[in-house]
Amino acid sequence: MIELAKVMKSFGAHPVLRGVDLSVQRSEVVCLIGPSGSGKSTLLRCVNFLEPYDSGEIRIDGRLIGYEDKRDGTRGRMRTRTLREMRREIGMVFQHFNLWPHMTALGNVAEPLRRVRGLAMREAADRAMAMLTRVGLAAKAGAYPSRLSGGQQQRVAIARALAMQPRLMLFDEPTSALDPELVGEVLEVMKSLAAEGMTMLVVTHEMGFAAHVAGRIAFIDEGRIIDEGPPAHVFHESAEPRVRQFLQTYHDRNAF
Amino acid sequence: MSLFWHYAPSLLSGFGVTILCWAAGGALGLMLGFAIALIRRLRLAPVNGLIRVFIEIFRGTPFLVQLFLLYAGGPSIGLRLSATAAGILGLALYSSAYFAEIFRAGFAAVPAGQIEAAVSVGMAPIDTMMRVMLPGALIAAVPSIVNMLIILSKETVVLSIITVPELMYQVQTMAAETFTAFDAIFGMAVFYWLLVEVVSRAGARIEARVTAYLAHQGAPA
Repeated sequence: MIELAKVMKSFGAHPVLRGVDLSVQRSEVVCLIGPSGSGKSTLLRCVNFLEPYDSGEIRIDGRLIGYEDKRDGTRGRMRTRTLREMRREIGMVFQHFNLWPHMTALGNVAEPLRRVRGLAMREAADRAMAMLTRVGLAAKAGAYPSRLSGGQQQRVAIARALAMQPRLMLFDEPTSALDPELVGEVLEVMKSLAAEGMTMLVVTHEMGFAAHVAGRIAFIDEGRIIDEGPPAHVFHESAEPRVRQFLQTYHDRNAF
Repeated sequence: MSLFWHYAPSLLSGFGVTILCWAAGGALGLMLGFAIALIRRLRLAPVNGLIRVFIEIFRGTPFLVQLFLLYAGGPSIGLRLSATAAGILGLALYSSAYFAEIFRAGFAAVPAGQIEAAVSVGMAPIDTMMRVMLPGALIAAVPSIVNMLIILSKETVVLSIITVPELMYQVQTMAAETFTAFDAIFGMAVFYWLLVEVVSRAGARIEARVTAYLAHQGAPA
């Protein structure tokens, strides 16, 4: 469903992604873990072309995103309209929720349905309400984001992405900005999504979630995937010293 | 006091002209400034160069000088305006330069994440502008807009120089005819202060309303 091949990206002279290969199958949950600055968020943002990659290929259901390879072998930017159409199929959830503060929870979810899917007001509101119900926030439909907790805001953001009926979902550190006691409610929603067979690519520091929900884990360090496999492998059998060191630090910090 | 009664009709009409010039000039200035800020976002190099020059001229020269040039110099380029029309146009041009900057700052204040959220659901640029950026920019701009409108309400006195029959002009006439300069102008100062008080209170209410649901906005860093 998602195929990445030799993806490279630099910010100026600083290489962030140095040849990433990764594939995510339909209904698979893949977690990207790794130290800060390793390039995992950038990689995720390249998948819906929020961040343009420099070279390599990212294909969604076989289709290259962001670029068009021409017959003469050169590569040009994809038409923005086509890119928009591709993005509609890819849900994204951000670290800082990025809700629109001037719209209610219901408005946030209904807005893309109205503007992008072209639904009538009534229909958009009905579908938005159904999505809010699904994330357990039907009672907060009329509330503005400022009146919601971080966990509630993130659940609204998930509902907003889901309402578009995407074929896959990208999560960029969805719980990193939350107070610890609010992390659980967001992870629960993500777990139920995974259980329903949603294809998910998740950048996270929640090792518990990665261990229990992910089908596969990719460990990124300095712009490369240095280890990849089922959670049991990456967490317990990795031969990579960098991975072991990272997980050790994590264990030390969380063992109290 | 009886003097004020005697001059009440002309003072009242002056008050009306002041409000008219202020409201019309401010409204036109807002529209023009907003249009300039929008055009600027298209990032057309030559157009933006012209806009920069326009803004620098109108922010960099005294309003009185602009007004003189417009009223006295206008006819030489075929722009024949009544004093009041020239006054309104002058206020509009002058304030538009400031409003353009206020709106530019407003657009810059919309968090990038809100725009990314719109882009990531595949929203068209026009919808992103109208539904996400514009409300955010307006909310951010409200305090500065109110502030500029207050400044503008007091700039209207300058119009008396080109014989616009606004309040200052009427007061000066009254003062000259009755040798009561202090009383008349003191009365006018009180009037302007009251006007600004009304405007800033109204502005504060609007501000409170638009920012009410933003008060606790923002993710923990």
